[in-house]
Amino acid sequence: MQRSSRRKFLASLLGTLGAAAVGIATYPVFKYLAPSRSDERGGKVTIPRAQVGVGQARFFQFQGHPAVVLQRGPGVFAAFSAICTHLGCIVKWVPEKGEFLCPCHAGRFSSDGKVLGGPPPKPLPSIPVAISGENLLIG
Amino acid sequence: MGLGRKIGDYLDVRLGIRDILAQNLTRYLLPRNINAWYTLGAVLLTLFALQFATGILLLVYYNPTADEAFRSIQRIMNEVPFGWLIRTVHAVGANIIILALLMHMLSVLFMGSYKAPRELTWVAGFLLLLLSLGMCLTGYLLPWSQLSFWATTVATSSSGEIPLVGDIVLRFLRGGAMVGQPTLGRFFALHVMGFPLIFGLLVLIHLFCVRRVGISRPPFGPEWRPAEPPVAFRHEEHHGGIPFFPHYVAKDGATIAFFLALLLAVVFFAPGLFFPPASFEPADPFTTPRGIKPEWYFLWAYQTLKIFPNEFLGLAVQGIALILLLLLPFLDRSPERRPARRPLFVSVYFIGIALFIALSVWGHYS
Repeated sequence: MQRSSRRKFLASLLGTLGAAAVGIATYPVFKYLAPSRSDERGGKVTIPRAQVGVGQARFFQFQGHPAVVLQRGPGVFAAFSAICTHLGCIVKWVPEKGEFLCPCHAGRFSSDGKVLGGPPPKPLPSIPVAISGENLLIG
Repeated sequence: MGLGRKIGDYLDVRLGIRDILAQNLTRYLLPRNINAWYTLGAVLLTLFALQFATGILLLVYYNPTADEAFRSIQRIMNEVPFGWLIRTVHAVGANIIILALLMHMLSVLFMGSYKAPRELTWVAGFLLLLLSLGMCLTGYLLPWSQLSFWATTVATSSSGEIPLVGDIVLRFLRGGAMVGQPTLGRFFALHVMGFPLIFGLLVLIHLFCVRRVGISRPPFGPEWRPAEPPVAFRHEEHHGGIPFFPHYVAKDGATIAFFLALLLAVVFFAPGLFFPPASFEPADPFTTPRGIKPEWYFLWAYQTLKIFPNEFLGLAVQGIALILLLLLPFLDRSPERRPARRPLFVSVYFIGIALFIALSVWGHYS
């Protein structure tokens, strides 16, 4: 009885120490593999106004995600996330029609980001744009 | 009934798992006078598993191009969380493995365990040692530092001294006339895929031989007698011996813990031990740094090349020494394994160790 309880105690002690060792070894590996969020942070993006013509769009990276800024009319700018709200493909700007088209499942968005047709459930998230001299401050 | 027992029953009904475990663990008996030197195999398996795991983790961030390799290593060391730990464990682990491999080989030599019927176990083990040195050499280039670049330049250049085919061998090793991107590409492929695949196969062959023939009995004690040369296959049984589990596994665990402690002691208290200043500068093919030396386990070879009047002679001596060691069980065929009754062998053994140490120290300070 006494031997059995001592064996049980040693086994559970060894198990606890083993589990602690595995935990200690797993933590650095988890942190090592955990994706970095440094490229998803960050402030505003500056783009020269001259690079976005009237009726034209320009794609750029905003906080780690693709985004698009367009000049809808003279001096009227808007920026959106370029990720389709259906299944995450990147929309493209169709200047002839003045709308965004998602090439994956033909989702269509207007120049103010609203859904015009196709499967997207939500409009494109909008990003604030301010004019600062010759530049656009986005974000 | 606990979940563990249920799973055990399920597997036992289908695969007879308990019988396999009993045969290989609790009913697998080892000689009563087995000593701690026999645990080095388990130590090496553990250390190689650690190298494999840390190597895979390093691949996540390492970039094997001449332009990016050094920067990616700097990033692993300075930016990726715990990257310094993973990389230092990998780099220091390689050195500890060579130490354990040498100790394993020396203990097998001293106890004459390479002798019949274990010649194939020895050959597979010796090839594993050579392959490990190959993995160290190829891995050394990957950080693309001044140290790795010039150490590889020096290490590969001696192959150019082989008569007739030297130049072809050299160009083939480097992928060109000089060390460069083609060298990095082929060393990377060998280090992460080519060598580990052959290595895995050789480990399986080595372990199969160990298990199939049976553990050799240490040649000590009054009742030890040389065995008759084998004429038919016989698994060496050790009736009345100690069970592999839990008795010897506990001993294995203790030695493994010792080596892991040694590894972590270097990682935490002397992390720069294997990183001289040239390893912190990016490779510059136009500037050779002063005093480039190979790692400690190649110093004997480095010094041998220096003391012979021409490099080919030095290479030939090294080659002959390695071939003699590889073929030792086929040359030393006497069944006597007791060190006290093999004075010639034991003398050569200690002279060999002394020569290895002396050449290494000389190489280090030369």
